[in-house]
Amino acid sequence: MLRLENVVKNFGGLQALSGVSFRVEAGSITGLIGPNGSGKSTCFNVITGFYEKDGGDIYFRDENLEGLKPFEIAQRGLSRTFQISQVPEKMTVFENLLLAPKGQTGEVITNVFFKAARIEEETREYLEKAKDILKLLKLYDLRNEYAGNLSGGQKKLLSLGRVLLTEPTLILLDEPTAGVNPTLINDIIRAVKRLRDEEGKTLLIVEHNMKVISEICDKVIVLDFGRKIAEGTPREVQNDEKVLEAYLAGSSKKWDV
Amino acid sequence: MSVLQVILNSIIRASELALLSLGLTIVYDILKFANFAHTEYAVVGAYFAFILNVTLGLPIFFSAILAAIATGIFAILIDRVVFKKMRNANGIIVMVTSLGVAIALRNTVRAIWGASPKSYNVPLQAPIVTKYFRITPLQIWIIAVGAAAMVAFYILLHYTRLGKAMRAASDNPDLAQASGIATEKIVTAVWFIAISFASLGGILIGMETYLLPYMGFAIIIPVFCAAIMGGLGNPYGAMLGALVLGFAENFGLYINFGKLFNLGGLLHITHRALFIPTGYKPAISFVILIVVLLLRPRGILGKKEER
Amino acid sequence: MGFVNFLVYLAIMIGIFAIMSLSLNLQYGFTGLANFGQVAFFCLGAYTTTIITLTFGLPFIIGLIGAMVVAGVFGYLIAIPTANLKEDYWAIVTLAAAEIVRIFFLNEGWVVGGGPYRGGAFGVGDIPQPFKSHFSAQTYPFFYLGIVLVCLLITYLIINKITDAPFGRVVKSIREGNDHLAQALGKDVRRFRLKVMATGGVFGGMAGCLWAHYYGFISPSQFLPLVTFIVWAMVIVGGKGNNKGAILGTIVITLFYNSTRFLKDYIPINEITLASLRMVAIGVLIVVVMLFMNEGILKEKKKIY
Repeated sequence: MLRLENVVKNFGGLQALSGVSFRVEAGSITGLIGPNGSGKSTCFNVITGFYEKDGGDIYFRDENLEGLKPFEIAQRGLSRTFQISQVPEKMTVFENLLLAPKGQTGEVITNVFFKAARIEEETREYLEKAKDILKLLKLYDLRNEYAGNLSGGQKKLLSLGRVLLTEPTLILLDEPTAGVNPTLINDIIRAVKRLRDEEGKTLLIVEHNMKVISEICDKVIVLDFGRKIAEGTPREVQNDEKVLEAYLAGSSKKWDV
Repeated sequence: MSVLQVILNSIIRASELALLSLGLTIVYDILKFANFAHTEYAVVGAYFAFILNVTLGLPIFFSAILAAIATGIFAILIDRVVFKKMRNANGIIVMVTSLGVAIALRNTVRAIWGASPKSYNVPLQAPIVTKYFRITPLQIWIIAVGAAAMVAFYILLHYTRLGKAMRAASDNPDLAQASGIATEKIVTAVWFIAISFASLGGILIGMETYLLPYMGFAIIIPVFCAAIMGGLGNPYGAMLGALVLGFAENFGLYINFGKLFNLGGLLHITHRALFIPTGYKPAISFVILIVVLLLRPRGILGKKEER
Repeated sequence: MGFVNFLVYLAIMIGIFAIMSLSLNLQYGFTGLANFGQVAFFCLGAYTTTIITLTFGLPFIIGLIGAMVVAGVFGYLIAIPTANLKEDYWAIVTLAAAEIVRIFFLNEGWVVGGGPYRGGAFGVGDIPQPFKSHFSAQTYPFFYLGIVLVCLLITYLIINKITDAPFGRVVKSIREGNDHLAQALGKDVRRFRLKVMATGGVFGGMAGCLWAHYYGFISPSQFLPLVTFIVWAMVIVGGKGNNKGAILGTIVITLFYNSTRFLKDYIPINEITLASLRMVAIGVLIVVVMLFMNEGILKEKKKIY
């Protein structure tokens, strides 16, 4: 589904990614972990085109993403969330979700006047989907609230919901449970698993919470100082010496089992 | 006009621009908004000096220094009343507010002193005339003040505690708190430095030509261009930008583009002289700005993408 | 009759400037594009229709369409180098572009046909007024007011419709500082910005055209940055992101601006001082609204589904 080959990214003199290669298999959930500053977020930004890479290749469904702009990559079915939730504050929860579907008829000015019926139909359809998602994420009661008034955790959920409405093939989640209250975490875990098991989606997740990782991931990739130091099932990786070392040396973040 | 004269004129213009664009860029760096009132402060400073020099009869030298200090303090007061309340606001909101401040300042000056040009009471001094160029003592002053201000700023930024704190605040506002000087104190200092430099620039322009309420608006585009060209927020970039613009404006009008396009007669296209009409002088900085933005969206010395 | 005429004049001014405010509101209020050169659209619209109707003698409607097309294309072009930049850059580039447009008409008298004391700084007069011959001097202003109000209504309906549509949703998300978000959702942010600027230009050009045919005389001195700033005050006071607010703000500012004219009948004050103080008030008003009632008189409407 997604293939990175020797991806390099530099910031000034600093090498944030030095030749990272891995694959994300279709229909799987892959975890991307590592101490702070190991290059996880950079990796996300390079895959989604927000950063220009300095070397290597990225293939999505066997198409090289070279030179594509972020929105073009997104249009190909690769959807992401951000570490710090990007939520337009003065738009309601509903509006936030309705923003998500790609290539809406009503996004073209002339269509607004000449294809009004189709726009209305689409909006109705999206609203129905949005309602289901909000109920799933327990945000339904807040549907007409400004997104700026949500808590940090609720914004995370909203971002997740928005990604679902883009009808993605591959979903990249950047720390989906950070700052989310523990009961909601279980909801997120359930939602993510359901995506894989019932809808056959593929996910790549950056996450600190190892409980979440071991519960949902089929495969885990560990980065440290911009290099891949381990790859395997959650169990294999947790017992890998290099991984333990990296975590103990590189960061105050402990294994959160 | 000799080439040497054009070079001299370019340097004079660059000195004036640098005094203004430097302040604009450091305010942007620390406060994260583009201050559209910046050149209006320079006008206020120039008219302060006018009160001291013409109304009160002080020598221009002291008038200029006192006016620069007074305008610096004035800027701090405006900050306390207006901008301080917007420290956490989005840059665009503060920018629009600064537009309001600019309109109010410009028209206050016009309401008090009228729209007709005013001059300082400066003893006339004979220009130095040589075979190749002509320069007035005032123009030498302009270059000297410009250069001295740049050197002073360099020393301030690299050899003082305040400068260190400013650099820290520029990189990371939260970290600056830890370096010992409170962010609010840095902000106050930045306003004072930025606006007193700008006032000096305004006074020098006023001395070389005359004082007009609209002189601030007349210079806002080149000042912004200089700052943007060097990368907004980069003080050395602003200096470089001012230099580039100073030369571009003067050489832009001096060069015979007819000759240039003809490649010295090689192409036999035309032998007509083709100069940029003087009326289009303000367009030069704009064209340069667009070209720079197209090629290097973050300016010549701009920081590359943030991590 | 004098008073009625004055009211009609005010109504026409409000109509023309409301179109300008709606245009700026689309750019700034909805999309977050700080266009500090709004007057360029106005200027281009006015000159384009003058050239079309006066130099080429074509009908008003062609002039109107031409004005809208030229200003729209200008909006699109000016957005190209800036579309990926931060709002600070946007503001200065548009401000400078508007000055260049004015300087162009100041220097190039020939575009309006040239001639002695004509074009350039002298301006151009004798701009034909549409259907003038069908009306008396007394009734014509009412007819022109009708034209202006029809144009305003069309502008309002169109801008309201597109800001309410999915298009408006996307531009709002761009305004909220979420370039990245819109991109991640597959929206071509750059194209949206270009479209907004072109649309803003179309209606700004319309306002400029109406202005030119109303006054019958235009010159570069009518298109100073001052015009832009007044339109900004209208949008900010009325309520950014609210189309009714933009119109309300236009009414408030126009009434304020014109009511202060009569002050000089009561207080001994010269014209320049009065004009300056009026602008001081506008500047202070912008600051006060930004500080204490950020949303303006009419808040942005919350869309409820």
